[in-house]
Amino acid sequence: MSHLPDWLPRALAALVVLTLLAPVFGWAAGAVGYAEPLENAAEATGAVDSAEAVGIALLPDYSVAGLGAATGTFVSAVVGTALTLIVALGIGRLLGSEPNAE
Amino acid sequence: MHIPDGYVDITIAVLFGVLSVAILALAARRVGREVPESRAPLLGVVAAGIFAAQMLNWPIPGGTSAHFVGGAFAAILLGPHLGALCVATVVTIQALVFGDGGLVVLGANVFNMAIVEVYVGYGIYRLLAPYGEFRAAFAAGWLGITAGALTAGLQLGFSSAFEYQLLTTLSIMGVGHLVLGLIEGGITAVVYRYLADARPDLRPTADAEVSLS
Repeated sequence: MSHLPDWLPRALAALVVLTLLAPVFGWAAGAVGYAEPLENAAEATGAVDSAEAVGIALLPDYSVAGLGAATGTFVSAVVGTALTLIVALGIGRLLGSEPNAE
Repeated sequence: MHIPDGYVDITIAVLFGVLSVAILALAARRVGREVPESRAPLLGVVAAGIFAAQMLNWPIPGGTSAHFVGGAFAAILLGPHLGALCVATVVTIQALVFGDGGLVVLGANVFNMAIVEVYVGYGIYRLLAPYGEFRAAFAAGWLGITAGALTAGLQLGFSSAFEYQLLTTLSIMGVGHLVLGLIEGGITAVVYRYLADARPDLRPTADAEVSLS
């Protein structure tokens, strides 16, 4: 990348704030018994037991084995946000470079 | 709105998987000549922001709630094709690394959140933008997520695990997200207005918008 945009530091700071909020919202969601309409629909039709977990997930349900709920959520938020940033940046660079290749 | 494996019949999962791959491939082709170098960092940051924001489940007393999905938001900020690729990246990482949404149904989840919400949201935004960008962004977020939820309701309602109770799945998903979507619309409009005021140069270029026609 030739030069970084001037708004990048503020954007990255906003991402850090969001990851810090993740464990707080995680705790609050647990406190109110968070359930999405999808889960309600599954309960209404008896589909709940059909759900299968994804076996290959390294951080299942945004948790880290051996860490507490809040720490695990925070680590998941940092890992996921950073990974998404890197992958999407890569996709953007890949797509952006296409015309030059032609 | 992330459907786990086992909820949707395999034929439906495969159908939407094929559809999603085809539409994203088209989106990538449309977007290929339109991503100036300066937009790659924006794509990265918007995708990362959507991932992080999706982790924040709204703690509404009573329990039934949701989280920001961001399809319409991505579409407004990045244009629809790049927006679809942006949300698809988020949904794929959520499934592969965190088991949020299944792998067999990944195509269905991408279809609902990264295609339906993105393109419906963008269409509504373009339609209403002449009457005010804030209102248009609000409606885009609100109705975009509702449209995505209805598509999910269709997929579930045609599946054996849900005993083909299409009316039940459509009404619970549709009404639930129609109400909760007001928050999605609010976040979409407020954050978009903040960004548009602070950095008008980050708004989608005319080039990116032309590609819809």
